[in-house]
Amino acid sequence: MGPDGAPGQAVPWRKVLWERQPFPDNYVDHRFLEELRRNEGIRQYRYWAVVKEAGFVGQQLSCVAIFITFWLYMEEGLLTPETLLWTSLLCVLLGYGLHQALTSQTESCSEPRTRLADLQSAAIFLSFTFGFSPVLKTLTESVSTDTVYAMSAVMLLAHLLSFPYSQPSPPGSLSLNAALFASVCLASRLPGALHTFAMLSCALLVFALWPCLLQRMRENAPHQFTGMCVGVCIAGVGGLGSQTLGGAVLLSLALVSVTLLCPLLLVWLQRHKDNIHGPWDEAEIHEDLSRFLH
Amino acid sequence: MQAQSGVELTVLGSWSLPKEGQEGIESFLRDLSTIFPQERWLQIRRQMGKMGFTCEVLKRHQSGGAAQEKAKKKKKEEEEKEEGEDGEEEEEDEDEKVIFVHYEQRKVMLSQIHPIDSGETDDKTGAPPELKQMFQTVASSQPLFFMDKYDDGPLKSTHWQSDGREASILVELLKQASVPLCLLLGWLLGVWTWICNIRVFSLFPLRFLSSKLSTCVQLSYRTEHMRTLSSPKAAADHTHFMRKANILVSILVDVALGVLLMWWLYRDDHIPMLANMLVPAADHVATKLEELLQWLMGAPAGLKMNRALDQVLGRFFLYHIHLWISYIHLMAPFIEGILWYGGLSACLGLSFALSLLSDMVALFTFHIYCFYVYGARLYCLKIYGLSSLWRLFRGKKWNVLRQRVDSCSYDLDQLFIGTLLFTILLFLLPTTALYYLVFTLLRMVVVLFQGVLHLSVDFINSFPLFAVGLRVTRPYRLAEGVKFRVLCEEPGTALHLLMEINPLKCSTVVQTYRSPTYSCYPRDSWAALVKKLFVGELIYPWRRKTTKAD
Repeated sequence: MGPDGAPGQAVPWRKVLWERQPFPDNYVDHRFLEELRRNEGIRQYRYWAVVKEAGFVGQQLSCVAIFITFWLYMEEGLLTPETLLWTSLLCVLLGYGLHQALTSQTESCSEPRTRLADLQSAAIFLSFTFGFSPVLKTLTESVSTDTVYAMSAVMLLAHLLSFPYSQPSPPGSLSLNAALFASVCLASRLPGALHTFAMLSCALLVFALWPCLLQRMRENAPHQFTGMCVGVCIAGVGGLGSQTLGGAVLLSLALVSVTLLCPLLLVWLQRHKDNIHGPWDEAEIHEDLSRFLH
Repeated sequence: MQAQSGVELTVLGSWSLPKEGQEGIESFLRDLSTIFPQERWLQIRRQMGKMGFTCEVLKRHQSGGAAQEKAKKKKKEEEEKEEGEDGEEEEEDEDEKVIFVHYEQRKVMLSQIHPIDSGETDDKTGAPPELKQMFQTVASSQPLFFMDKYDDGPLKSTHWQSDGREASILVELLKQASVPLCLLLGWLLGVWTWICNIRVFSLFPLRFLSSKLSTCVQLSYRTEHMRTLSSPKAAADHTHFMRKANILVSILVDVALGVLLMWWLYRDDHIPMLANMLVPAADHVATKLEELLQWLMGAPAGLKMNRALDQVLGRFFLYHIHLWISYIHLMAPFIEGILWYGGLSACLGLSFALSLLSDMVALFTFHIYCFYVYGARLYCLKIYGLSSLWRLFRGKKWNVLRQRVDSCSYDLDQLFIGTLLFTILLFLLPTTALYYLVFTLLRMVVVLFQGVLHLSVDFINSFPLFAVGLRVTRPYRLAEGVKFRVLCEEPGTALHLLMEINPLKCSTVVQTYRSPTYSCYPRDSWAALVKKLFVGELIYPWRRKTTKAD
């Protein structure tokens, strides 16, 4: 077949290659790329919604700051371990009550976790921590202070980076472990085994139990959730500010940039988004398959 | 014989001086042919003053002519006289040449060929074809040499003639006397084996101990050896004979060395001197160990240890050493007696004395072994725990079914406790690792010393002394092959060669006749050893093959 440049009017071009047509192989007609779709299905972010979601990240940052505040107070000697312990216990009870209150009827039936199981977990935590606290106290005796601070900082950063922000209720392994490792490192610097025990209980409360409560609040009481985030952020800045002013300034800068600046950047950069879709994409299943799961 | 070797054989004519003429040969041949039925005869003549031989083939009816054969002829020793000067002649290919090959009959009869992979004929590939044919004929008449051995029947027509009649009578008497001796030995061994197999000795602790103590192991090896020696039948073939001879000679040398050691030990009050040295030596070792532990409990080499764990481990080991020293002091009055009776065991052989020494070293350093086991187990547990908890830290789990690492969602309490334990193990790792390293090094020193002792015992057990002695004194008995030397190469006469036996190399002798079963060699390669050290598995570096009677 010779290279016939002029389109044959008699025979319309079809987009198949298994038929011999009087067109060259790379011939395209006016319907070229008509199935191309640009930016299909992208979400249009609204600024304040993104700010609300980003508040959760800021909240977690402030949690870490509150924890560090407690540690600073304990190290200065301004806070006795007994006080911290009783406060933690009170908070746990309050939080547990809130958690149970926020759990609706339908959810509690599908999650058969009894009060007894919770009590058992609490007993295990407390006994283990209390039993190991003398050992934990002596762990970093021979390690220099700078190393301890550096290790804790790295671990807390890892915690923030790997935190499951979308679904905090089953806690992510790496984030929780990193936070606990950092708390053990910091707690072993305190004078006394009871200090260590109190610090660890506080860490457990802040890093393991608090996200569960937040998850419940986010699901069932969104407005209060937002208010709680804002409250935590303010408490973090305030607490840190009472000890180190520089820390407070840094924290507030970080909060502002995470909560206000980054969403702005996200929304502004959406204009440059340029995705193309077409028949070359992978097939997606649009049916709802959950009807196959019992 | 002819069928087996594939060459034609005939009987030669006799040696005769060239004084008589050719006519007397005719009658001589006729007389001879009444006894020997062969068709052809080879006449060999030597002229006075010349070195070479000339030969002719004579048919029975004297239709001579120079035939083309190769011939072999036996040569006598100076001392002995042989009746009948028989020889053989082999015919091949109708060449014009006759080659005489001399060899010493006694040496060939006594020697044993050790065939190597490349045959004799292969090393003359570039030679002229007639030489190759000659070698091929020599090689194919190998069965002839094999059958030419000293006979063992009741009526002996051949004997140890080189050593004289008296020596041969002595040898025969010894051979006769050895049979009842072997029977006696066999009966004694039977009694000993019956004692060893009594039920009370098969209980678990005794059996376990006897498999670990090298003296008992050595005893069982020697029992096996004696059992080989005590069979009343003569050795079936050369290998068995060499094996029996090796065992006998090595036992005798062993006992001789042991008696020498005993003689040195029991004179001049050496034993009390040794005993008096032993307890202070043990004390000294214990003091050094205590100093080492005190150093570890401080800040060794500037390393930062966890003080609490350090103190715990250090105090534990110090208490152990204290117990050990009390035990040694308790035993102090009995040591001399133990040494005295233990030295008696050297009469059984030097290898027994060495095994006993190795066992005593093991007993005296038992506390080092205990420390090593404690340290290694602790370290192994720690490493195992750390690796598992590190996986938990990252949120993964080891899938035993698929032998791979999978992700896993843990519960809150699992995560919590796992992280606590991980932190504890991680920070306590340097302390444990240091203790483990120190005790492993100590254990390696002891193991090396014991290994040297075991190696020397195995050397005594398995070195083929008789074979090496035979190679040195009578090299023709262990033959690798033959070599030829030209005696006379004059044109016009037959080529005269001397066939000498090529003895085996010493290294081949050792390699062939070494007792194969009793060596102990390192169990792991270097890489596996290092990996085991790193992980903390217990190391038993020498592996011993179980005894098997070949």
